[in-house]
Amino acid sequence: MQKRVAICAVAQIKNDPNLWYARFQNMLLECFEGIMSQTNVTFDMEKGIRTVITCSDDVWDARTISNNGMTDVVGAHFRGEEKMAQESLNGLGYAMASILSGHDDVVLFMGHMKESQPESRNMCTNLAFDPFYCRPLGMDFVNVNAMQARAYMEKAKITEEHLAKVVVRARKNASKNPFARENDPVSEEDVMKSPLLADPLRQLHYYPSTDWAFGMLLCSEERAKEFTDKPVWITGYASCMDSYFLGDKDLTSNFSLKNATERALKKAGIKDIKKDIQLFELCDHAAYQLPMWAEGIGLVNDGYGGRWVDDGGMDEFNVNVSGGMLNGNPLLLGGAARAIECFYQLRGEAGERQVKGAKRALAQSTYGAAGQHQAVVIFEV
Amino acid sequence: MEYWGVKVSDIFDTMNDRFRPEGAKGVTAKFGYDITGEGKWKIIVSEGLLEVIKTDDISDCVAVMVCDGETFVGINIGKVDAANAFTSGKVKIEGDFGQFGKTAKMFKKYVPKKAAMSTRDYILDMFGTLVSRFQPQNAPQEAVIVYDIGGADGGVWTAYIKDGKCELKEERAEKFTVKLEVQDAKDWVDVMLGKVDAFSLLSAGKAAIVGETQLALKLGEIFKKYQDPMASGTPEQELIVLKKIISVDQKFSTGPVMGKFLNALKEKKILGNKCPKCGRIQLPAREVCAVCRVRVDEWVEVGPKGQVRYMEYVYYASPDPLTGETRETPYGMANILLDGCQGNDTFAHLIRRDQIDRIKGGKDDVSGTRVRPVWNEHRTGSIFDIKYFEIDE
Repeated sequence: MQKRVAICAVAQIKNDPNLWYARFQNMLLECFEGIMSQTNVTFDMEKGIRTVITCSDDVWDARTISNNGMTDVVGAHFRGEEKMAQESLNGLGYAMASILSGHDDVVLFMGHMKESQPESRNMCTNLAFDPFYCRPLGMDFVNVNAMQARAYMEKAKITEEHLAKVVVRARKNASKNPFARENDPVSEEDVMKSPLLADPLRQLHYYPSTDWAFGMLLCSEERAKEFTDKPVWITGYASCMDSYFLGDKDLTSNFSLKNATERALKKAGIKDIKKDIQLFELCDHAAYQLPMWAEGIGLVNDGYGGRWVDDGGMDEFNVNVSGGMLNGNPLLLGGAARAIECFYQLRGEAGERQVKGAKRALAQSTYGAAGQHQAVVIFEV
Repeated sequence: MEYWGVKVSDIFDTMNDRFRPEGAKGVTAKFGYDITGEGKWKIIVSEGLLEVIKTDDISDCVAVMVCDGETFVGINIGKVDAANAFTSGKVKIEGDFGQFGKTAKMFKKYVPKKAAMSTRDYILDMFGTLVSRFQPQNAPQEAVIVYDIGGADGGVWTAYIKDGKCELKEERAEKFTVKLEVQDAKDWVDVMLGKVDAFSLLSAGKAAIVGETQLALKLGEIFKKYQDPMASGTPEQELIVLKKIISVDQKFSTGPVMGKFLNALKEKKILGNKCPKCGRIQLPAREVCAVCRVRVDEWVEVGPKGQVRYMEYVYYASPDPLTGETRETPYGMANILLDGCQGNDTFAHLIRRDQIDRIKGGKDDVSGTRVRPVWNEHRTGSIFDIKYFEIDE
C-alpha cells in the first residue's frame, strides 16, 4: 500500500438556502477559525501551513480568479495558494497529491460556493457548454441530466416511486445531520407531484440551491499526531474524465466511474467493496444518480438499480446517511460534504446517524454534464 | 498612399455600405477625421442616416480624430491595436471623446478586397516557386522534366534535377526523362490548386505524359504542394466569431463589515478597521488582518482629508459596470493616505478631472498633494457617495 495522507480536522458552516447576510469571505472565515481552534496548527514557515488549496468557481462567484479576493480569510497571505475550479473531491485529491509528492507536508484545503448569488444556477451551468453548439441549444446540468435519467431509468427499471423513495429518505437522513440544510419534510406523494423540470426530473428530484463552505486540514502520515489523535486516512483516490459532448458516449455506461473506482480501490488495496467498506457517500445531484452511481462503483450489478432500491440496498450498505446533496449541498462542494461525512463517521462522531463499527468509507463525486468527470476517494481509520 | 494594400479613401468610400443604422440609434452628430497628409473627412449621422463628405471644413464637428494614414488604416483593418494607438498618442480625439466612442458601433468591419490573380500570374508564381518547393530527399538522382503548358498564358519550362539540386530554365529540353503536355494553362492552374484532378485531364485528352509516367506520378512528392497565395490557409468564411454578452444577474452580499463601511459613507464618514495585533488600519474595512490572521473588530474613523500617494491618468476607460457608460477621459485615479492612516494603508478613489495635472504623489516623508472628498448630495451607501477628491486649498 502507498503512503497515507491524514485528514486531521474538518470544519463547515450549516448548509443554507440563502446566506444573504454574508459574503463568501464570511462563510470561509468561520471554517478557517474552526480548523485553527481544533488543531493549533500555525503558519510558521518551518512547521506550519505554507500551502493553501481552495475550491471555488469563477462563474458562480462572478469574479475572475475569485480566490485572489479571499486569501486573507483562508490564511493564505504570503503563502502558496492554488485554486481547484473543479469538484471539491478533486481538490481533495490535489491536496493529497501535494503531500504524497513531498511538495509539502501540511495543507489547508478550503472551499466555498454561494448558489444564492446568481439569479439562476441553470444560466451558470449553461456556461459549462461550448458557445456554438450546446449553449444555444439551451443545455444546462438539469436538462442534460434528465436525458441521462431517462435512459438510465429505462435500463435499470427505475420508477417514479423509486425516485420518490430516494428523495424522502435523503430528507429523513438529513434531519439527523446538524449541518444539513433545513427543509420541510416531504412525502413520496409530494415528490411525485412536484413540477417537472425536464421530464423525468421533477423539482424535488433535484438538489436545492444551497450556500456552504468548508475547511479541512491535511498532513503527511508522519506529522498527523501533531494535529490530532484521530486522523482519518486517505488511502485511495482516482478520477476519470469522460467525453465532453454527450453525443460521444453511452449515457448509462458508467464507464468513467468504473474506471475511477477500480483505480482508487486498487490504491487502497480493497478487493470487495461490499465487505471491506461500511459506508458510501455518493453523488446525488438528482435522485436517479444514487442507484446509477451505486451500479458504477459496483455495489449493485449493472441494470439492477431499481431492484436495489426496492430491496433496501441504500440502508443495507449505509449509502448517504448524511442526507446528501438531494437535501442540499452546493454544486462543486458535494464531494467535500461527502468526505466530511466519512470523516465524522469513521471517527465515531456522527451522532444520531452514526454507522457502528465503520472502518472504511467511500466518497464519490461528479462534475460536468451527466457525470462527465468522476472521482472516488477511500478513507480509513 | 496604400497601407497593407488599403488606401485611406477606401475606408471612407465604403462607410455607407458598412453603416449599421442600429448602431447609430439616438446619435445625431458630425464627426471629423483629420488624417495627416491624406486629407480631411466629415461624417454626418442623423436619424439612422449617414453622409460622408471629403471636406476641409470640419470645424463644426463634435469630435475630430487626428492620426496618420497608416494608423487609421491599421485600426480599421485590425493591424493596429486601437487602445495602444490611443495611449501612445498616435491617435488623438479632439472634442467630445465620449461622443466619438459611439462611432465604434456604427460600422461593420472593413474587409480589404483581394485583387484576383490571373491565370498568367498563377503560372508565373507556380514556376517561380518550383525550386523552393523541391524536396531532394524524394527526388531521383538525375532527371529532366519538361513542362509544356499551352495557351496564351502558358510557356515551356524545364526542371533539371541532379544530385539533390534542382534548376529551372524557361526553355525546351530536347532530351528529357518525362514531359508534361497541358493544352490550356488554366487547366494546369486548376490542377495545382487542387480544383481539378490530374487524371481527369489526362483521360479527357487535355493533357498527356510523354516518357517515364512513373516519375510524373511522383511529382507531388518531388515538389511540395503549391500554396495559393490568395488563400490564407483556412477559408475565411469558416472562421466565425460569435459576439455574445454573457450575463447572469447577481446578488452580491456585503457581509457585516463591508456593509458597515458603506453605510458610514451615507453619514459622510470614512471608517477603517484596526488590527488589534499590528495596528494597521484597513481600507476598505475587512473581516480579518491578512498579515496577522486575526479578526479585526475595532472601528476607526479616518480622513476625510488626506494626501495623494499614488496617482495615475486613465486614458482608456473601462465602462462603468453599473451603467455601461464610458467614462470621460482622461481621469485620475489615486491612492490617498487618509489622515489617521499610516504606511501603505491607502484608500483608492477618483480625482476631480480638471485638477489631475496639479496632483503630485508623496513618497516616504514627503507629502503628496493634500485632497478632500467631495460628497454626493444623495448618498446611498455606495463608493460614489464620494464623487471624487479635490485639492484641499
